[in-house]
Parts: sequence; structure tokens; C-alpha cells
Amino acid sequence: MLKTILMGCVLLLASTAHASEHIHIVGSTTVLPVVSQAATLYRQQHPNITITVSGGGSGVGIASVIQGTAQIGMASRNTTVEEQAKLEGKVDNIVIAADAVAVAISKAVYESGVHALSVQQIADIYRGNIRNWQDVGGLDARIVVIDKEASRGTRHVFAEAILGDKHARAKGASIISGSNNEEQAIISRSHAAIGMLSNAWLNHKVRGIAIIVDGKTILPTIEHVRDNTYPLARGLHVLLPKTASAAAKDFVQFLLSQQGQAIVQEVGYLPVH
Amino acid sequence: MKIILIILAIPALLLPAACVLYIFYQALPALNLSLILGSDIAVVGVNSIGQSILPQITGSLLMMGLACFFALPIALSIALFHAFWAKKRQKKLLMALLQMLQGIPPIVYGLCGLIVLVHTLQWGISLAAGAVILAIIILPLLSNSLIHAFARIPREQTDAALSLGLSKFRVLVRIWLPASWSNILTGLLLSMARALSETAPILFTATVFSGITWPDSIFSPVTSLQTHIFYLAQEGSNIQAIHTAWASAATLLLLVLCFSLAAWYLRRYNKT
Amino acid sequence: MFISRPSLFASVVWLGCLTAVFSIAVLLWFLWDNSWLFFQQFGIQTLWLDEWYPYEHLYGFLPAIAGTAWALWIALIIAIPCGLAAAIVSSEIVSSTWQAWIRLSMEVLAGIPSVVYGLIGLWLLLPTLQSQLNLLTGHSLLAAGLILSLMILPTIMLMAQDALQGVASEQREAAKLLGLNWNQQLWRILLPQAWSGIRSGILLAVGRGLGETMAVMLVVGSLDKMPEPFYNILEPAQTLTSRIGREMGEAAFGSLHFSALMACGLILAIVAVFFSLSAQKMRPTT
Repeated sequence: MLKTILMGCVLLLASTAHASEHIHIVGSTTVLPVVSQAATLYRQQHPNITITVSGGGSGVGIASVIQGTAQIGMASRNTTVEEQAKLEGKVDNIVIAADAVAVAISKAVYESGVHALSVQQIADIYRGNIRNWQDVGGLDARIVVIDKEASRGTRHVFAEAILGDKHARAKGASIISGSNNEEQAIISRSHAAIGMLSNAWLNHKVRGIAIIVDGKTILPTIEHVRDNTYPLARGLHVLLPKTASAAAKDFVQFLLSQQGQAIVQEVGYLPVH
Repeated sequence: MKIILIILAIPALLLPAACVLYIFYQALPALNLSLILGSDIAVVGVNSIGQSILPQITGSLLMMGLACFFALPIALSIALFHAFWAKKRQKKLLMALLQMLQGIPPIVYGLCGLIVLVHTLQWGISLAAGAVILAIIILPLLSNSLIHAFARIPREQTDAALSLGLSKFRVLVRIWLPASWSNILTGLLLSMARALSETAPILFTATVFSGITWPDSIFSPVTSLQTHIFYLAQEGSNIQAIHTAWASAATLLLLVLCFSLAAWYLRRYNKT
Repeated sequence: MFISRPSLFASVVWLGCLTAVFSIAVLLWFLWDNSWLFFQQFGIQTLWLDEWYPYEHLYGFLPAIAGTAWALWIALIIAIPCGLAAAIVSSEIVSSTWQAWIRLSMEVLAGIPSVVYGLIGLWLLLPTLQSQLNLLTGHSLLAAGLILSLMILPTIMLMAQDALQGVASEQREAAKLLGLNWNQQLWRILLPQAWSGIRSGILLAVGRGLGETMAVMLVVGSLDKMPEPFYNILEPAQTLTSRIGREMGEAAFGSLHFSALMACGLILAIVAVFFSLSAQKMRPTT
């Protein structure tokens, strides 16, 4: 008797396959707050559509779209040549926002006088040639160099601008972190850390420093992203297959609409218009 | 000598209570009704965090239930084969095989499940994939419990019944199940506790970060307490995230303890 | 035996067994096949290469293997003495009511999910290590070893306790009659008799510690570099399980990177199964 009831429940569960439309969005943790909030708002307006969101990084997002395990991908970098080959032009790459990749340091280092570093200095730190904050004008402490997992969008952008190649290795790395959240946590708990973060994650314990390029000191602010002077500015992308459902396309349009862009601004990124 | 042993032993003996108390102590600020009734938006990152973990609790319990639903008939078949049809050598081989399966790390099952279920069979990230993987993980444990439960039944009863002409099926239903139901239940409860604690295998095969309150079908993803704790663990600087993580950990611990303590109690009741 | 054609019952049971065998065989075949792909291309020498950088097709397993070995070693050094001592205290020194409570509390410890241990490690252990030992962030092999020791302690303690209680009462009586004092009884009679059970418990604990993913992933630092010098356990490092856990999501299905991860899984599985089977073989037949 019990078994029949149990079996009935499971069959019921199984049979309600796709009673509502389901959109699965995977990818960059930089784009995630925007898409997650937009999904909640969108769901209130379209209750029969389920949108699930997962992180994992830009690499995971692009790979998921290629493999078809996600309906929409999030990426905080451009697709590489290999990825474009696999995508075979079947996917639209839509920019929904722009932000700056800030070089972030711990509060203690900032307060000891390090407010700006040149590209060469940052590269030397990440290659292991500069090991102590003293050598760049800060306190006497060994630098905790936080690198990111190799497929993360933030790392691609950082590596390309600072180390010259998006797949460049950082031999001086002390620790490897994953998402933006994790990196923020490590920097805020340490007193000698340096890392790469989206500017929206900066706070009083995690300070962004200015980058010295050609003699000019440029802060990672939205204004400098807008006028294209900050060297580590990037677009935040959403990847939409051309064969996506109407609901998925509608959601992407929602992200580009006024409501969506208001969320972009609230999170701390630069809206597209 | 005794003194040295006692000194060495004291940290070990105090640890369980210390851990449990610490977890609940840290969870106190967040242990209020909003855990269940609060908004279920879980937006992590630069903004605030939703408070309700009800979707996560239901997801974990659903996956555990479905895993047991898949594993129980199979484990029963294996135990029945061992009891009725297997010869001595086959029994040894079976036990060695079960031990081998129990030894394989769960993450390896997760990896295999990712290829076979999520990609090759195109189930996608789904409750079904997670449940099947969890079922395979708890299968050796459950099979062992069932085999031992059946082995405890006095041989004379079974022999007498068989010689009276009862079919094997009737022996099972009329004699074995009534005699060993508490042992079987103990094994089942322990397997449920185990299924609730596995995180790594379901992280990439069954769960998403947000968006699901109740899964539409067994082929849709779910969220679970275990993976929610993992996502929140990466938030070191958001105080609310930290409290919610500890509260989720306390809830998960409570659930696991319910099943384990029930099993323990049954075992004691069985002995007396 | 009496029935010539199989009954419905027998068929159902056979079907159940076949399903089990089939599904597990499929899973394991994929594991083997994918890893074989990797080893065919890169050879077995990747096991002792020390650079892991998938983008440049460098797949060295040595840092992860060394990290796993170190974390386990640290865990065992802590868990074996404490677990044995706890077992001896519990079965030989305290009364039986205390014994029941101790047993229950150890089973509670064993039941705590690994991700919760990860939380304790990340938010209690790491800051402590960072401030006390002046480490960079606290992420290290030492942290991983400490957390692992917490997790394998119950296994060792419970199996040792079972082994000690299983020593036949005649042995204990004989020891008393011979006039041995408590110390001598313990070290000359009880422990040697219980040793096979204790050893079995240790092997089982090693197997379990090898497969532990979540807690280790959060506290070890995920840095694929050999510890310099080789005994430096205070720097972030990598273990096999942490590597699989971190890169599982981002390796595209079918790529070399994914095959490399499957190869990691295969190594883990082979070693863990070896320890598990040894534990079973050495268990005293009850």
C-alpha cells in the first residue's frame, strides 16, 4: 500500500515534466548579481517561467552554452578563438553592462601609502619578482598574491592587460581563488593581499588602487570606464544561442530594458546607454 | 601511563560536543522564523541575501528521498541474492565488491555521473541525476545493512518454513520482514543520513545557486542545503551570509542527527 | 533448486542485481575509458611531473599527490594517538554508561557533514592559524590535515573500541591471573590481540580521508605548486580531491582537461579501493 502511494507520488512528479518553461543561466560571478536580481523581477512579471542561475566562472558559462547544458551563458570577457570555433557562429554575444577590473589591495596596505601602481610593478608582483610591500612603498610585509582560476573572465582581462597574454602564468601567486566573493573575503581578512576584482566588489576593507599608465594615474571608476581611459575595462556579456526559446530572448531583452539597466546601475556597473 | 592516555583522549572525547555547540552558537543570530518564512531570494554578492532556506531544505530532502527510493529495491535484490542463491564463493566475492564500491570516493562517482547522466544521456543538471548518483553512493551501505539484517534471522526458522513448502517470496514477506524490520529501518536511516551529507557529487550534477523553489519535474535542477552552505562559505565579508551559512549548517546537522539518532535508538531497542 | 523455471520473485531479484551491476559497470567504464585517453596521450610520467597548467597542456600530478599525502599524514599523526587513547579510555577505564555516551558522541562526530567541517575550517581554523602562526591566509596543508584528522578520528576510535572489546574474556582473565598490572595487561595482551582490528580501522580511515573533498577544497588553497622545501606544510597547496572539485565545473566535456581530471579520479579510486580492501582483508573474522 505504502509502496503504491510512494510510486504514485514519484510518477506524478516525473510526469509534470516541463509544465513551465525553464531557463538555466550559468557563468561569470561578475554578471551573476545582475542576472539573479533581474531573474527575480522577471519571474514576478512572468510567473510561469522558471529561471535558475549558477556561478562557476566565464569559462563554465561559455562551455555550458557550447554543450547545451545552459540556455544562456554569462561571461565577463570576450570569447577566445578556440571557443569561437566551437560556437560556430550559432550564438549571439550581447553586452549588457561594462565594468572595471580593479586591482584590489587590503586596507592595511592602502593605509600604509600604496595608492597607485604601474602596470610593470603589478606584473612583477604577479611574476614573483617583487615580494614585499616595502619595495613599492608600503608596509613591511610579504605580499599575498591572489590569483584566480584560469578560466575566470576577470583573470583573462587582467592577464591580458598586465601580463601580456590572457593565458599567462603568474609564478608569484600565493593562492588561487575562485569567485569574486571568495577573493573579496580573502583580501578583507588579510593585511597584505593583492588581487583582481570587479569594481563593484570594492568596499572599505578591499580598496582599489589606481593604475599608472604612460605617466597617468587612473582610478577604477565608472567614469573612467565610460571614457575608455581605464586599461582594464571590459564588457559584461550574455551569450544567447540563435535557437533559444522566445522566453530566453525576451529575458535578454529585459536585461537591456530600462528595468534591467537600472539593476545594472544599482549593482555598480556601467549601463550600456 | 593512564594519565598520559587520559590526557591524549580528552580532546578527542570533548570534540563532538564542542563542534556541535560551536555550530549552534554561531547559528544563533540567524536562527529565527525568517529561516523558513522569509523571502526565498538568495542573491549573493554585492547585495543583500535572502533569508529563507526552505527551498534548500526541500531540495535536500527530495534528493535524499528519491535516492533511497532508487537504492532500496536494488539493495534488497542484492541482499536477497546473497541470502537465497549465492554460494559461499559468490558471497565472498559479493562482499568484496561491495567493500570496493564503498571505498571509491564520492567525488569520483560525481565525476562519472557528470559524464554519463548529465552529458551523455542529456539529463542536464537535474534532480534525477543527483538522486541516481546518491543512490549509487549509498547502495553498498544499504546492501550491507540488509545482508546483515537477514543474516541475523535464526537459520532454523527459514529452514523450517522452506521445508514446509513456503516459497522464497513468502519466507521473505511472512518471516524475514517482520523479524528484521527494525534492522532494515536502521540501515535505511543511516543511508538517509549519509545521502544528506554528500555535497561534492551533487554540486555540478544536480544543484544550482538560485531560482528554484520547488522542482517542476525530476529533470529540473534543485538547490540543496549542502551546496548552499558551500556557496555561502565563499562569502567571507558579508555578515548576513555568514550567519545564514551557520544557520544552514545547524539545520543540516539537525536533520542528519535526527536520522542518525533514530537509527541509534532503534539499534538499542533491538538489542534489549 | 526445486523449481526448473525461475519464479517471478527470482526474476525480479535477478533484475535488481543486474541493474546494479550494469549501472556501476557503465560508470566505471567511462572513468576508465576517459582516463585511458589521457594516459595514452601524455603517458604515465605525468604522475611525477610537477606543473599543472591546462592552458599550456601541462598536466603534472605530483603537487596534488604530494599534497594529498601530506594532508593524510598530518591527519593520521593526530588522529591515531588521540583515537587510540580515546578508545582505550572508553573501553578500559570508564564505566559502561559513560562508554555508551562516548560511543554516541563519536557517532555524532562521524555524522557531521563534510561541508560543515569545511565551514569550521574556513571560519574558525584558518583565522586562528593566520594569526597564531603568522601565515599568509591560513590556507595550507596543515589546515587540511587538521580538518581531516577531525573527520577520521571517529572511524579510528570506534573501530579500535570494537577491537578492544572484542578481545576474549579468557585472555583478560589469564592476564589477571598472571598478576600483570594494568599497564602490562594493556600493552602485552590487549593491544596485540586487538591490533588487527585497530589496523583495519586505520586503513579504513585512510581510505575515507583520501576521498574527502569539500572540507579540504575550502581550506587548502588550491595552488598547484610543490611545497618548497618538500616538508613545508604552511603554504597553500593542492590535493587531488580539491583539484577535481575546483575544476570539474570548468573543464569542457570531452576536452583533454576533463580527461586529466578523470585520470585524477582514477588514481584516487584505485588507491582508496586498495586501502578499503586491505581494511576488509585484515578485519578479524567475527
